Amino acid sequence: MPKLQIFRIRIATGEQGRTDIPEFKINGFKIPFDNPRGGVGPGETFEAEGAPQSFAHSLHLCGPTEGTWVIRETTLTYNLMGEPPYTIRLGRVVLDSESDLNIWHERQPVVFDV
Amino acid sequence: MPNWLSKLLGSKESPAPVAPAPPSGAAGEPGYIPLTARPLSDRADSPAMRRPEAPPSRKVVSAPVLVDEEEMSGWSSEIRIKARPDLGMASCVFLVDRPVLQGYSTWIPTATDATESPLAAELFQIPGVESILIHEMTVTVTRHPSVHGPWEPMAKEIGAKIRAHLLSGQPVVSEAFLASIPPEEEIWRRVQQVIDLEVNPGVAAHSGVITLLGVKGNTVTISMGGGCQGCAASTITLKDGIHRAFRSAVPELGAILDDTDHAAGTNPFFKELPEGMRSYA
Repeated sequence: MPKLQIFRIRIATGEQGRTDIPEFKINGFKIPFDNPRGGVGPGETFEAEGAPQSFAHSLHLCGPTEGTWVIRETTLTYNLMGEPPYTIRLGRVVLDSESDLNIWHERQPVVFDV
Repeated sequence: MPNWLSKLLGSKESPAPVAPAPPSGAAGEPGYIPLTARPLSDRADSPAMRRPEAPPSRKVVSAPVLVDEEEMSGWSSEIRIKARPDLGMASCVFLVDRPVLQGYSTWIPTATDATESPLAAELFQIPGVESILIHEMTVTVTRHPSVHGPWEPMAKEIGAKIRAHLLSGQPVVSEAFLASIPPEEEIWRRVQQVIDLEVNPGVAAHSGVITLLGVKGNTVTISMGGGCQGCAASTITLKDGIHRAFRSAVPELGAILDDTDHAAGTNPFFKELPEGMRSYA
């Protein structure tokens, strides 16, 4: 398992936003994002970085403390030690005060024509 | 202690007896013992010693991964095949733009087992092919562990053979093989029996549970719950344990699909830590 140095996240909120600032959890530890920009209101886009500098057995985006949060799309770019960075795009999902989003995804396999 | 040994060690006297502990009293009084020096039993009611209450279990959900892939739709005269090696590079899935074996699947573990599948027999002619799984629109080829390096050269050869076979109009599997497949109800009954009598008693030691979700043709779909969900060893459990047990009970079985989202659920392998508890990230 490679070491996750830093990841960048871009969250496009759908029709329902949240009022508190998003945080993430690595291996169960809640950590604030670095350099948060933008917003998480309806139709807004939030961008930030996380620098776990650790081995990600689990990486979760914490749900809102209250209400529901509709995420239209999430884009993640991972920088792993000794590997070139890669990007994953996630589709629509709804989080609430009792749910988190799994944001740890390994590099997608390469597909080619034969 | 013998005398000679006492001399050798330089100890001529027996150790001084330990004085009995004075009774504890209030702070500032004679005999007062600080809280930290008291036995644990005296401190059990201390707020500092109360175990933190675990937070309510949070559900981890997964969003679909969006892939910018050219859509394979609209059959053309040319058969289009995409190759997708797995991350471990042991096997490669060949996705064909039309059904290869509609409604059924077949797993051929060795070249000698390919008598009922003309397509598999041709693919086994390629050096390095170890086993083949044909299911609906996909052909999955596992190569021998001694074969290393990129998949591209071997994949192009496999793709060419699949395309040539489909264009030839030859059957992918024999009529005899299709006729030998038991009814879905019979497959369900036999697989469920293996789950109840062999598999679940085995994984129960790890708080795991296997559930049979469905049978379509000779393809079964299962889910891995409890301690199996998200477990790092779930792939080994699936391939070395479950596959072997299922195929032993139903030799005509084709694909065994795992419908588990191993990153989600309320009991993933890496659980929430109660507030105040530390672990090593």
